[in-house]
Amino acid sequence: MLIVDDHQPFRAVARELLENAGYIVTGEAADAAEALAAVAAHAPDAVLLDVQLPDRDGFAVAMELAAADGPMVVLISSRDADDYGRRVATCGARGFIPKSKLSAAAVALLLE
Amino acid sequence: MASNALTALPSRDAFRDPVLLLPIAVAAGLAVGWLGVHEHVAGTRIAADLAVSWALVAASLVVLERPRWRRARWLLAATPFALLGADLEWASSHALWTFGFLLEGLWAAFLVQLVVTFPEGRPWSPSARIAVLAAYILTLGGQLVGGLVAPNTRDLLSVTSQPSVADAIDRAQAIAGVGVALGVLFLVLQRVRALGRPARRAQAPLLLAAAVTALAGLAWLGWVITTDARMPSLETIARAVALTIPVGIVVGIGWSRLRRPQASELVVELRSETEHTMRERLSRALGDPTLVVAYRLGDGRYVDAAGRPVELPQRADRAVTAVTAKGEEIAALVHDPALLDEPALVESVRATAALVLENERLAAEVRSQLAQVRASRGRIVAAADAERRRIERNLHDGAQQRLVTLSVALGLEASRADAATAGVLSRAQDEVEQAIGELRELARGIHPTLLRDEGLTAAVKALARRAPLPVTVQSNVRDRLPDPVELAAYFVASEALTNVVKHATASEASVRLEHEAATLRVTVTDDGVGGARLTPESGLAGLRDRLEALDATLSIESEAGSGTNVCAAFPCGS
Repeated sequence: MLIVDDHQPFRAVARELLENAGYIVTGEAADAAEALAAVAAHAPDAVLLDVQLPDRDGFAVAMELAAADGPMVVLISSRDADDYGRRVATCGARGFIPKSKLSAAAVALLLE
Repeated sequence: MASNALTALPSRDAFRDPVLLLPIAVAAGLAVGWLGVHEHVAGTRIAADLAVSWALVAASLVVLERPRWRRARWLLAATPFALLGADLEWASSHALWTFGFLLEGLWAAFLVQLVVTFPEGRPWSPSARIAVLAAYILTLGGQLVGGLVAPNTRDLLSVTSQPSVADAIDRAQAIAGVGVALGVLFLVLQRVRALGRPARRAQAPLLLAAAVTALAGLAWLGWVITTDARMPSLETIARAVALTIPVGIVVGIGWSRLRRPQASELVVELRSETEHTMRERLSRALGDPTLVVAYRLGDGRYVDAAGRPVELPQRADRAVTAVTAKGEEIAALVHDPALLDEPALVESVRATAALVLENERLAAEVRSQLAQVRASRGRIVAAADAERRRIERNLHDGAQQRLVTLSVALGLEASRADAATAGVLSRAQDEVEQAIGELRELARGIHPTLLRDEGLTAAVKALARRAPLPVTVQSNVRDRLPDPVELAAYFVASEALTNVVKHATASEASVRLEHEAATLRVTVTDDGVGGARLTPESGLAGLRDRLEALDATLSIESEAGSGTNVCAAFPCGS
């Protein structure tokens, strides 16, 4: 699993949370460019992807990965899905989890 | 800035030479007439040539009152001498015959140039320039080459007598002449369409005469080409028709003079209290529908009656005349340059207008200041919006991000702690969740992300979903609207729904967004207790500056017991 978020402390907590639940975290990325490079390098099964990245938005990255038949994407954001409208449903991601509700169980539910 | 065209009245010097022309032209005409009689030329032909020549000279004198028609005047004065010179072909003297032969047709080329460069002496278009060039090559050039091979014994230029070649040249000249005549007809039609009203008034008679003359020329040349023979009477008629050209010029000048209003009528017209604007009244007085009145403000800028900025044109096809009062420029009239040909008219309008334009100028100044204040208010609102966006972004990227991380960390620790610690951690996480929720609401109120990304309909639908009562949303807004309009419309919906929740005790509400005929209408209706009023403390009243900056209106209908209806209307381009 790859974790993409520009806030380092959040990545650390997320990594611990996922590893605690038995996921193997193959890497972390702080922006879209790093994320795409990491996907190419490690071919993870899934990506935990923040919507707001410094270089591009997470929806665009999700669409690019979906178009390339890449890993499954779980979008996360400190905003609600409601704040993003239709884009959550149309970007090709498996689902959306508000960051504050992030748990191993929620991730597992979306990746099943 | 303003043109000084009004000072460009003809000076005394300009009168001198053309007046001398008159006796010279009369004498030349009489001499050629005597020659014709002596050589037994048909009387009608002599009469036609003399009439056309003298009429052209007379027209060149009438044109004197139009300073801008100076170049046309010289062509008008030169044409009769070319015409009379060509008649020297009647002479038995070899030298005079050859001279006349060379000039044959040159007068027609002069007329072509006169017409297609009328009135300022510049060809109307590149095709007009080609027509003039073709006319000169065809007449002067054709005669020169023809002279070298002419079988006539009086021809001093003749190097060899080739009757068949001379015939072929004649024929080629006639055919090319048809082309030039058709070209002139086409150019005249084009010109009539392109002219502004004041110019058409003065120039239409000449253009009509040119068309008639071109048609007569076509008839004569057509006869020459098809029958291969000259018919003197037809040639005489074609020449006589050219008389319409000087007549057309004189009639045009007389015509535009006739409808020149008297100064006293102007005062009545301009000072009367009618529903017509000052611009309309001046435009009518000057006969120029394209007239623009630009009021000069204290700071040197020009504005129209509504206070909108006006740029004074610096183009050849617009003229600017300054209107002054007490030595100070108060306005500029931007008009068709053809009006400069009627300096007396423009001067009387200018003098009369000065009396009444001062009030209009003060009103325009006030309107201009109002427009500036409005623009400035728009900029303040826009700056505030940009600041709101920045604050929302900072909240999201900063505090919210950290609280979210804290919440996830607390959840993680709770999941692996003993029961007692887990309980404490869970409660702490709940508190943090609460803080995140409140922060998120605050951020949305400052600047909703969904509005920026997805537009008004999506943002208002999200607003409805979050409301604690059923809210239906109807919308035909599909396109994105200007940012300030979207934001203001969103805030109206948001504040109105907040009021419904707080005060209306309603069971349901609806929001309608209608965008049609350049207006966006936001209507929020509920079935609550009604009796709502727009008090200074209410959130809707707080939107007043924002709405006024957009020229939007807000109305509230709220009879006690029959619900509340809040409606805002925004003007918005398309």
